[in-house]
Amino acid sequence: MSDARSGLRPAIDRLADRALEATMVERIAIALVSTLLALCIGLVIVAAAGYDPVRFANQLLVGSFGGERAISRTLRYSTLFVLTGVAVAVAFRAGVFNIGVQGQFVVGGFATVVSIVGLAPYLPAGTAAGWLLIVVGTLAGVVAGGLYAALPGALKAYRGANEIITTIMLNFIATGFVGWLVAGRFSDPEVTAMRTRRLPDNVELPSVIFSDPNLSIVGLVATLAVVAAVALLMSRTSFGYDMVTSGHQGAAATYSGVDAKRMIVSTMTVSGMVAGLAGAVFAIMIQGYYTDPTGVGNYGFDAIAVSLLAANNPLGVVPAGLLFGGLESGGSNIQINSDVPVQLIDGVVGLVVLFVAAPELFRMAAARTGLGGDRR
Amino acid sequence: MGERDTAAVRLEGITKRFGDVVANDDVDFRLEAGSIHALLGENGSGKTTLMSVLYGLYDEDDGEIYVDGERRTFDSPRAAMDAGVGMIHQHFQLVEPMTVLQNVILGHEPTEGGLVDDESARRKIREICGRYGFELPLDTPIEDLDLGAQQRVEIVKSLYRGAEILILDEPTAVLTPQEVDALIDVMRDLRADGRSLIFITHKLDEALDVADRITVLRDGEAIGTVPAAGTTEGELARMMVGRDVLFDRLDRETSPGETVLGVEDLSVRGDRGREQVAGVDLTVRESEILGIAGVQGNGQRELAEAIVGLRSVESGTIGLDGEEITGESRRQRIERGIAYIPENRQTEGLVQDYDLVRNALLGNQTVEPYASRGVIDWRAVEGHAESVVEEFDVQPAATDAEAASLSGGNQQKFIVGREIGHDPELMVASHPTRGVDIGSIEFIHNRLIELRDAGLAVLVVSSKLEEIRKLADRIAVMYEGEFIGVVDPDEVTDEDLGLLMAGRTLEGADDRPHESELEDEGGVVE
Amino acid sequence: MSVADRRLRLGGLVAVAAVVVIGLGAVASTQFDIALERLITVGFVNRSLEMATPIALAAIGGLYAEKSGVFNIGLEGFMIVGAIAAAGLLYGLGGTSPTQAHVWLAIAGSMAITACLTVAFAALLIRYKADQIVAGLAVWFIGLGFAPFVAAMIWDSRSSPGLASVDDVAVPGLRELPVVGSIVFDQSPLVLLTVVVVAVAWVVLYRTRYGYWIQAAGENPEALDTAGIDVDRVRYATVIFSGAMAGLGGAVLLAHAGNFVGTGDTMTDGRGWIAIVAYLFGNYNPVGAAAAALLFGALDMLNVQFQTVGIEVSSRLVNLLPYVAVLVVLSAWGKTRMPSSVGEPYESED
Repeated sequence: MSDARSGLRPAIDRLADRALEATMVERIAIALVSTLLALCIGLVIVAAAGYDPVRFANQLLVGSFGGERAISRTLRYSTLFVLTGVAVAVAFRAGVFNIGVQGQFVVGGFATVVSIVGLAPYLPAGTAAGWLLIVVGTLAGVVAGGLYAALPGALKAYRGANEIITTIMLNFIATGFVGWLVAGRFSDPEVTAMRTRRLPDNVELPSVIFSDPNLSIVGLVATLAVVAAVALLMSRTSFGYDMVTSGHQGAAATYSGVDAKRMIVSTMTVSGMVAGLAGAVFAIMIQGYYTDPTGVGNYGFDAIAVSLLAANNPLGVVPAGLLFGGLESGGSNIQINSDVPVQLIDGVVGLVVLFVAAPELFRMAAARTGLGGDRR
Repeated sequence: MGERDTAAVRLEGITKRFGDVVANDDVDFRLEAGSIHALLGENGSGKTTLMSVLYGLYDEDDGEIYVDGERRTFDSPRAAMDAGVGMIHQHFQLVEPMTVLQNVILGHEPTEGGLVDDESARRKIREICGRYGFELPLDTPIEDLDLGAQQRVEIVKSLYRGAEILILDEPTAVLTPQEVDALIDVMRDLRADGRSLIFITHKLDEALDVADRITVLRDGEAIGTVPAAGTTEGELARMMVGRDVLFDRLDRETSPGETVLGVEDLSVRGDRGREQVAGVDLTVRESEILGIAGVQGNGQRELAEAIVGLRSVESGTIGLDGEEITGESRRQRIERGIAYIPENRQTEGLVQDYDLVRNALLGNQTVEPYASRGVIDWRAVEGHAESVVEEFDVQPAATDAEAASLSGGNQQKFIVGREIGHDPELMVASHPTRGVDIGSIEFIHNRLIELRDAGLAVLVVSSKLEEIRKLADRIAVMYEGEFIGVVDPDEVTDEDLGLLMAGRTLEGADDRPHESELEDEGGVVE
Repeated sequence: MSVADRRLRLGGLVAVAAVVVIGLGAVASTQFDIALERLITVGFVNRSLEMATPIALAAIGGLYAEKSGVFNIGLEGFMIVGAIAAAGLLYGLGGTSPTQAHVWLAIAGSMAITACLTVAFAALLIRYKADQIVAGLAVWFIGLGFAPFVAAMIWDSRSSPGLASVDDVAVPGLRELPVVGSIVFDQSPLVLLTVVVVAVAWVVLYRTRYGYWIQAAGENPEALDTAGIDVDRVRYATVIFSGAMAGLGGAVLLAHAGNFVGTGDTMTDGRGWIAIVAYLFGNYNPVGAAAAALLFGALDMLNVQFQTVGIEVSSRLVNLLPYVAVLVVLSAWGKTRMPSSVGEPYESED
């Protein structure tokens, strides 16, 4: 009908700028409503299960932002959600469904620990050597994450293998294989628990205003720096333009000279590198060793929700990551201080994703209730 | 309407709006039983919309539909079908991997014991095919048939469903002239059989040739209905466009210079792995427009895509300014100055949900001054977008408008402007005016000729004969992946071009393609 | 792809499956000096069939949905829901010592529950045009979260205590036959049921009008619409069917295992994802999908086999075999021809 549209010209002209802003506002509104709706359903379930929803909500809130300990814990989780969220956002923006951030996160973190533990005996014990180890370990994590993501990228580009499925399979494989290594070849012979050797003492990041030993100013700054770098990459560089255009309209990207196959591999690699960095931050800043990957948390999966909430915008990932950090932090408080099974939080995250997937639901609901019904 | 109504279909005051756009404005239409009625109009004049209303695909906003004298409202194609109305769409409504038989009976399957009764369906289809002399391989998947055969499947499908009134939407667009003749015979047979036909077209000669009556639509309004016997092409053209249209060739003042593009023995495979370009040689020189004519699907798209670097080459070479570029990527070729107006502006030429600024960068990502060392200079890009919008009169003149909000003609003007802005050496333009309004067509044609006059090499692919005749300095006709003839537009007749497009060589039994007198050593050799 | 090609592909699939299983066995036997007969036993075949059943059921549901143009990527989630629903019902009906009647009721009830949930899911996808991939992932997340939550509510633990598993159906006399006896005549009824489902699914898809509509809805919805069939209705039907089948798959998984496991990625542990690969590998043909499911089931069971014959391979590694196989299969056969309109909501009018 494009030809018949010419009569619309002036109207569209006027609407053009407003539409752009509207989509931004609308996206934020959808993110907020999705989260609130999912939380409400969660509370209803809590009530239906015979617990006190008010108390539950209170504990969630206190556990996430009530007091220094809670806030530092929230920030600690948020770092990981933001980083993994950015990893997902990079791929989704380019139209590649990297569901394998969890696997890349695990492989990256494990590579960090292995490289540091392996290299430490050859270096002196001082702070300088510690920093060197941190840099080397982080690089190892980044490289390992990138490579582990490049594999499904290449399989998709050159063999046509659906990346959603291959990355999920690679998640299972990463967990199983790293678990096997942690239990076997890299296990710490001095402890009974299944884990690797600890990182040496000099590998430690300085903490922030908070006394929390597992939260470092370096980690926070590095995270924000990565967010800024990725945002700039996407908006200011040819590579970013290629990537985002591929995600919007593949045929147009090809027309403009993008090698679609290579783009898929590069996108996955960049995404995996960020995921690997998240793994390195987790290993160095938080854990200090590596355990059975089934127990490291589902950051890579929740990151999908984080990224979707942020409409796959790297800047939007920061507030979305904070929200999820808060949820996770509140969840760990609930685990200690309440009978409500903490798995509920995971379910609520699933609901958030479900609602974000269906913006039309809210548009129709809004139109029916007369709120913002002018948009179709 | 006192006496018995002889109309098979009567539409009264049909109005259909899409948002604020009025696609049909108070249209009256009357199809006499047992006749062929042409619905003539330009692209976007509302022909297909009107028929979609009749067929139950769209609900009319206003107006009344009568079929065989009875007031009807069709809320679905099924309802229309039940009333004996069948429609053959421009894009065939066929399920490619399913067989001919399965497609014909889809939605009307005879069953026995819960399973589809193939045999009774087969008998009924054979009977229909026999009556009109169709030969269709009933167990072959649709995707293995050529377009002419697919169209016959569509016709059989409608007849199988008991259509007495058949709507054919631009049925000749995808056919060779000879297939068109066969189709016209079928249409006459159907009329002789007592069926009533509506024939949607924008081709004057076809309407005159086959129809009993012709209704002209313009901008969604019915301009008038005339008997085919008492009218002329000129009159119809005036009704269609609202003014006299002249398709004159423009004078050529320049003479071709050095060879810019040289293609030798090029073979290219299509999407399905079939050889679509089979050993083509061509050259395009400075200050020259080479026109490639032919029925759609004879390898023109693959040839153009191979030249601009979007499709890999099976064998043969491509050279630009004497350097071989066969192995170079699309991006390298862009940087060398090959501009490309793609066949499909919607999916390739523009990113629909980007604004015009971001679209102005499309293809220029690695080209100075828009980007250097991988960093984009958005200010330069914005300047580029603004100059294109201004110079090429793109409406709305706002660079922050999304591409999707532009009309087809304006989208195309933007693409042409952007590609010319590349400062190219070679311009490859595929169907540069397809679906574009008349004003924009003129504009785009003039720009391409200016490019030629400025010394560029231009390659135009088009299936519109008048466009090729107007623009080209030489015309190469493509048929089944080969150049079947290269002719001088000033000398060749439409009839000869039609024959070439249908795969006939011009000099009888001569199996070598005809070479025109214009040919010289720099020209095209089969 | 011609009919001959499809036949070839199906044959190839079966051949690949056989070669992979026997090959792995052969490698193992030469490597560890163990007779092949000891590795590939009747018990192994039985266990593989049992393991393949849930995958095959979910795969058939998924392929119907995708054939009709909706990619139900939530199979894994619906399997989890099916498993926890069946476990919950079973416990509710008979505590920790339910009868066989309870088992069947629980399976039926769990199918009904997942079908109801899929109605909502289908409405989100079709009516509200939700992103099929994201919404499907969401179903997985919801399953991963709520299933252990429900388990914790009921049993105070992510997993259930031992409940009951379904009894084999034994035909007296015939079960004494060598090999066939215990595979066919002393078999889980759910395995036999799945064989029937596979056959019926094939007939419906290729020999009935509904099958034609499903194929047309996925390949060219407009053609179906103009033929007077409501595309959305066809898609609702297939999506709900796919959810019910995945739920059945989850319930069958539980009925074979006898208790619910909610740790890690729950007892479903990726089988829903493998089901997707199974039907891709089987080229959207129910029989092919079932054959592929059998391949993955067999790989899953090699672990047990290795242990019983005393091959010292870490079970952690052997457990990864099905996932690795999926990667290999997708890389070698990845370019399946998807129905051309998968993932696009259909709008009949502007």
